[in-house]
Amino acid sequence: MTPVTSASEKLMRLAAAADRFDYSAAELRETQVAALDERFQERKDRIKLLGHRAREAGTAEIRRREDMVPLLFPHTVYKSYPESFLIEERWDRLGKWLGTVSPHPISPVETSDIADIDDWIERLAAKGHYVSCSSGTTGKSAMLLASDRDMDWSRTDTVNVFSWGSGVRPARDRRMMGLAPTASVPKNLVIGAAQQDAFGDPARERFRLPIPAITVGSLTKMIVLRKKIADGTALPGELADFERTSAERQEALDKAMIAGAEALVRYRDEKLYISGLWNALYQVARIVREMGYSAKDFHPDNCIYVGGGLKRAQLPADYQEFVHETFNIPATRDFQNYSMQELNSGMPKCQRGGRYHVPPWLVPFILDEEGTALLPHETGEVEGRAAFYDLSLDGRWGGIITGDKISLDFSPCACGCKGASVRNNIVRYADLQGDDKIGCAGTVDAYVRGLS
Amino acid sequence: MNAADTSFKPADAPVPGNAVSAPFFLCGELFQGQDAVHRSRDLGVTFATPRIDLDRVVHPRTRVPPLLNVPLAEIIDFLVETGQRLRDPGNPFVRECVDRMALTHVLPRAVLEEQTRSAAAYLDRRLLHAVVEQNFPDPKALDEWVPKQDFTGRKSFVRAFAPRLIHVLPGNSPGVAVKSIAQGAMVKAVNLFKMSSSDPFTTVAVLRTMADIDRDHAIVKSMSAVYWRGGDDAVERALYRPQYFDKIVAWGGGDAISNVTKYLGPGLQLVSFDPKTSISMVGREAVSCDEALDRAARLAAADVMVLNQEACVASRFIFVEADQRDADRFCERLHAHIVEVAAASGDARPLDMDLREQVEMLVMLDDEFRVWGKTDGKGLVIRSDEPVDFHPINKTANVVRVDSLDDAMRYVNVATQTVGFYPHQRMPDYRDRLASCGAQRIVRLGEAGPSTIGNPHDAMYPLHRFVHWMAHEDGVAPGGS
Repeated sequence: MTPVTSASEKLMRLAAAADRFDYSAAELRETQVAALDERFQERKDRIKLLGHRAREAGTAEIRRREDMVPLLFPHTVYKSYPESFLIEERWDRLGKWLGTVSPHPISPVETSDIADIDDWIERLAAKGHYVSCSSGTTGKSAMLLASDRDMDWSRTDTVNVFSWGSGVRPARDRRMMGLAPTASVPKNLVIGAAQQDAFGDPARERFRLPIPAITVGSLTKMIVLRKKIADGTALPGELADFERTSAERQEALDKAMIAGAEALVRYRDEKLYISGLWNALYQVARIVREMGYSAKDFHPDNCIYVGGGLKRAQLPADYQEFVHETFNIPATRDFQNYSMQELNSGMPKCQRGGRYHVPPWLVPFILDEEGTALLPHETGEVEGRAAFYDLSLDGRWGGIITGDKISLDFSPCACGCKGASVRNNIVRYADLQGDDKIGCAGTVDAYVRGLS
Repeated sequence: MNAADTSFKPADAPVPGNAVSAPFFLCGELFQGQDAVHRSRDLGVTFATPRIDLDRVVHPRTRVPPLLNVPLAEIIDFLVETGQRLRDPGNPFVRECVDRMALTHVLPRAVLEEQTRSAAAYLDRRLLHAVVEQNFPDPKALDEWVPKQDFTGRKSFVRAFAPRLIHVLPGNSPGVAVKSIAQGAMVKAVNLFKMSSSDPFTTVAVLRTMADIDRDHAIVKSMSAVYWRGGDDAVERALYRPQYFDKIVAWGGGDAISNVTKYLGPGLQLVSFDPKTSISMVGREAVSCDEALDRAARLAAADVMVLNQEACVASRFIFVEADQRDADRFCERLHAHIVEVAAASGDARPLDMDLREQVEMLVMLDDEFRVWGKTDGKGLVIRSDEPVDFHPINKTANVVRVDSLDDAMRYVNVATQTVGFYPHQRMPDYRDRLASCGAQRIVRLGEAGPSTIGNPHDAMYPLHRFVHWMAHEDGVAPGGS
């Protein structure tokens, strides 16, 4: 006799199943709704904000997907802490804020002798609370809380996603070439280590960009300075120092790009696993070309892991082809993944259909632009604001309303998978706001120049 | 370019695809067309416009501006008559304009109608004269070359010469359209109005009303109103040049201004009406008794609710000199008054998702913040010990508790416009410090809206800056050195 299994466990058990993207939305519907209700019942009294939402909406249980909509958190919720907590280094208050979005009580940490935010994050990590920050430069940065179980899940999921999407088997036979100037936050570190363990040849040293670690502290410094400029408390000397530091950092980064290109050329005969963001990868590829090397000089079985979008970098239209062609990445190894800091699971793009596939434990919702109502969707493709419930999330609420406009299809994909999939035309609503309304009412933000 | 509609009858053909038609007005002629479809952010409505004939919106420098030698008195007569016609309930241009605006504006129809009517109040003879007199030490300089002589005996004539202006209009207050037209006319400018996506109608409606009075009048020939998407290089690179215009009169900040500043240079100046935040200061006298408390809360609510808090004079942060208990009593009364005014306006748009989220978080952090009301757009008050991170909008007031109003001075900055004060007897103690911090206007609490006719706006006398000050040196008087 098999033990009684919860609906969410049933779905999460498919994590490593080869056919995990082959379950149709209709097949999954009932189990997913049951799983949503399980998560809601477990956490409604544990996540303060969720309890508040449920009371406001009068929700006692999830019987249909619609019931979940008022309980999904906008992605901005993880930036909703009062900025003064961060700027005035009120760690106990930030801890209390984290407590309103955490299902696990935040263990008290000693805050009297904390030097900076990196210190605080480290002490929380020692208690099993992993805080990752998004690298928002102009506005607030999001603080996303995760648990040990989330870290474990990320470790496995990232390898499964890359392997499925790129067709590369985790055979530990590649030299890892890390070309991303990414923030040293727990989630990025876990993903990097997991990829290394799965695909990296232990005998060959991993290449890292020779730049100092980008810590949360270094990211938030900019936010603090911006606030000081707006307040009028930043003095010109401080601004000149900041500009100087930024210029030095940029110079170090430019040098690191050259070092990256040289390393790629040095290891060109080896089988490489190249990772980075489009902007850095494009820059390095250009340097490699200028050095006189291109596809013919690189191993024919190279692969590439690209994280994140363009982040508003201005690149030529053919930047992807340019990067692929430079490093001799086979056409069948074009790996793309749709995910975000707010989720714990990825949606890899298939090679044949060119669509991002949604795994069974990630429940997709297409909402109206305002994010308040579920669009009717039984079959076919529907476009609107993307929202997800990630059943795998343990350290925070799994329901998130994204800033993305996507097209979700319940029909089978050209690649043969029958599961829900997302068209490769994802845009951010923020980039779509094609409007030029101006008003006389505004904030001091309009008076802050530079720092972008 | 589309054929000109010379009939001046409101007879717009419906535009396919649900887009509202937004015609242009060029020097007395109406142009309709559906060459371009644009989007208005607030209600997600689209509107259709003709193509802009760029050659027609500039006035060759070899021809003097049409209004140059029209006496100011005649211009004011014309504006006054325009005002009367705008107030006429039978004015077809205004009616049609409000119909269209209600589709694209965040404010409800009744508020818009009232705004158009009250905007016309600016077109009052005494008011217009007062504006000119406050802006110019000698208003005659608008009509003629005014003779001068300095103490050395050197003589000259000075003229406030008619400029060429581009007005980049805001979309949050139809009143600005009427005011800009009147001011542009009084300085005898050649005017190009770049309308906003949330109001591509009012300016044209006013200009059509003027053309209906006398379509050949120089004032009508000096006015053009068009729409292009702010930042559209194809238009702005062509038009924003000193060969065509002297000044860009722009409202707003951020992208709207940074788009404009790249075109500034010798010969093309910016007169900017910056984006502003207004605040209130409530002294401890307000919490001394229930009567004073309710009075101060009612006055504060009036300032918060100017144009349902869409305007720059509308208060957003209210600094209250009290302990927490008294501050909370004030908040409760303030909330009740805001709710009352909000209910009467019939405007209940829920707060944007982002704002809603931040407010709900403060509800969670209830040992440091307290919130009265909900995020339903019916009125909301948040009490905190320092200003909240977000911009309170849509009937939201942030009461910041301070031990002394002196402590509130550090929150006053270059973006602060109006400061409402209670009790007014304490205003002289604070006005120097407020000005030093960057504020521009201090008023009695409850009187954020009205201002003394002709007073400075955004720390300047705008009309004085609009004109092209021209000197005609005329030698030395007999006996001079």
